[in-house]
Amino acid sequence: MTSIEIGRLLRASTTGFVVGCRVSQIEAPSFGTLVRVPIGDNYQVYGLIYDIHIDDDGLVRQLVTAEGIDEAVIADNRLNRNVPVEMSVLAVGYQADGAIYHLLPPRPALSLDVIYLCEDAEMCAFTDAGRFGYFRHVLRAAELPVGDLLGAHLRQVQAAQRRAGNEAWAVEATKELIVLLRDDYPSLMSVIGTLSDAIPETWSGVNP
Amino acid sequence: MSLDFQSIREQVKQMGETAVIRQRELRDKWELARELLKGEAQDLTALRQKVQDVAQNYDPTLRCALPIDDSLTEGYPLPALPTEVTILAADGSQITPDRNAGVNYALINVGAIQMSLGSSLAPSTTTISELLYDEDLYTSTGTITDARLALMRDLKERAILAKLAEQIPPPLVTFTDGPMELWIGMPGGGRANTETKDILDAYIEALNKLHSLEVATAGYVDRPGANLIVRTLEVAIADLSKLADMKDFRPLRGVTDVALYGQILKEEERSPVFALQSQSVKSYQGLLALHFFYLNVGRAGHPYLARVEIPAWVAENEAMLDNLHATLVDQAKMMGVRPYPYLLQRAHETALVKLQEKEQVTQMISLELRKQGIEVEQVSAKQFAKQSEGRTRYEG
Repeated sequence: MTSIEIGRLLRASTTGFVVGCRVSQIEAPSFGTLVRVPIGDNYQVYGLIYDIHIDDDGLVRQLVTAEGIDEAVIADNRLNRNVPVEMSVLAVGYQADGAIYHLLPPRPALSLDVIYLCEDAEMCAFTDAGRFGYFRHVLRAAELPVGDLLGAHLRQVQAAQRRAGNEAWAVEATKELIVLLRDDYPSLMSVIGTLSDAIPETWSGVNP
Repeated sequence: MSLDFQSIREQVKQMGETAVIRQRELRDKWELARELLKGEAQDLTALRQKVQDVAQNYDPTLRCALPIDDSLTEGYPLPALPTEVTILAADGSQITPDRNAGVNYALINVGAIQMSLGSSLAPSTTTISELLYDEDLYTSTGTITDARLALMRDLKERAILAKLAEQIPPPLVTFTDGPMELWIGMPGGGRANTETKDILDAYIEALNKLHSLEVATAGYVDRPGANLIVRTLEVAIADLSKLADMKDFRPLRGVTDVALYGQILKEEERSPVFALQSQSVKSYQGLLALHFFYLNVGRAGHPYLARVEIPAWVAENEAMLDNLHATLVDQAKMMGVRPYPYLLQRAHETALVKLQEKEQVTQMISLELRKQGIEVEQVSAKQFAKQSEGRTRYEG
C-alpha cells in the first residue's frame, strides 16, 4: 500500500469530506484523484477530489498590495502560517472486511484521520469492483463540475489500468456513462464533450 | 436598543457646531508650532538647557524630546539596505486572571520570528508560554493586575530577543511593538516598588546583554500618540511665570508630532534622533539612555509616521542607526498600502492567544485539577448570564 499522505481530515459527512494539508503537500493530489481514508483495520472510505481551494486572510490580502514580495515572505506564508490548503472530496465507496462497495460509507471518517493517495493497484481494485456503481455518486452531485471531474478521473484511472494491462477499461467506463446519462441529454452532451478532450484516444474507440 | 440615540444625536450636533471654532484655533496653533520649529527652537543648547531645568526644578514628570545636535527640521534620507543582516522581532500577549471563570490562572505568551535579509528561506519562529498560578497570581498589595502582567510581558519580549541574539552573529536588528521604555507608573513605596524594580532590573539586564552582543534594538510605535516634540516646543515658549505651572501649560494642545513631521519628512526619511526626557530617565543610564526618532514609512504624498525608540548605544552608532532605518522601511514596505513591519505583524500572530486557545487552556487546567481530586468551581452567575445565548426560534 502506498503511504503518500496528502493531509488530514477537517470535517466530514456521509457524502464527502474536507481535507486540510500544508502547502508542501500540495504537489501530490490533483483534481479527480482517488483517495482513501483508513479508519480501522478492516474499513476505509474512498473519495474523489473535486475541489482544491486556497483561502486568503487579512495579511495575504495586504501583502498583495506591496510592490514586490520578498521570497522569504512568500515562503513564510506558505510554510509557517496556519492557512491550510483545503481539498473537498466526494465519497464514492468504501472497503470493509476486504470487499469493496460502490456505496456511501456506513459512517464517515473522523477529524484528523490521515488521507492517502490511491496507488495504481488500489485504483484498479476500486474501479474494477462491481460495474462502475460509483459513477452514480458523481452524476448525482449536480453542483459539481461533473464532466470535468469524470474526465480528470477517467484519465488518471485509464493510465493506471493500462499499466496493469487493461486497455479496455476506459472504453467500458465511457459506455457505462452513456447508458447512465441516456435520459439526460444535456448532461450527456456535456460529459461526452469533456471526455473527448480528456481521453481522446479512448473516445475514438467508443461507438455511442 | 442599548444606546440613547436621541441624546447622542443632540450631543453630536453640539459637537459639530463647535468644530469650526476649534478648527480655527487649531490652525493658529499649527502656525505657531511650525514657526517655533524653524526659528526659536533652533537654539538647541538653550532649548536643551531649558528642558532640563524645567524637569529638574518645576515638573519632574515632564515627558518630552531633548534635542541633541541636529537641526529639528532635518530629514535623513533612506540609507542602503545592508547586504547581510538578521532581523528578529518579538511580541507578546497574555491571558489575565478572570475571577468569574472556573479556574484562576494567568498566562504570558511571547513569540519571536527571525529572518535573514537576502535569503529566500522561510523565517523561523519561537514561542515561549508561561503559566502563572497559585502564588504567582499575588503581589504584596493584592492580586496581580493587568498592568503588572503587561510589564512582565514587555520584559519577556526583550528577554527573548536577548536570548535568541546569543546565537546570531552581528549585524542583527531586533525590534518589538511599542515603546522601549517600560511603563512602571508613579514610583510607590514598600514591597510593591521592590517587585516592580525586580522587573525593571531584569529588563535592564536584557538591554545590557543586547548591547554586549552589538545588537541594534528598538521599539516601534505605530501611529504614536505622545507629542514629545510639541511638548518641547511648549517648554520653549513658556516664560518664567508659566514654569511653575508647567503641567497645565498647553498652548499647543491639538497639534501633533505626527502631523508636524509628516510635513517635514519626505518618503522613507527619518527625523533627527532626540533623547527622551522622562521620569524614567534615571533607570536607563549611559549607553541604555532612551532616544527616539520619527520615521516616515508612508508613500510620497501620503506620509505615515512611526516613532522608533532606541537606546543610546544605537543612537550613537551610525552603522546601527542606518541598518535599523533601512530595515524598518523595507519591512514596512512589505505590507503594501498599510505600512507596518512585516515581522512585527508575524510576531504578533505568533504570540497572540486566541479565545479558542484560552478556552482550551482553561479546559486542560480543569481536567488536571479534577484528575487530582480537586473540585473546580463553576463560572460565576454573572459570567454564566453573560454567556447565555440570545433568543432562539422554534423550528418545529
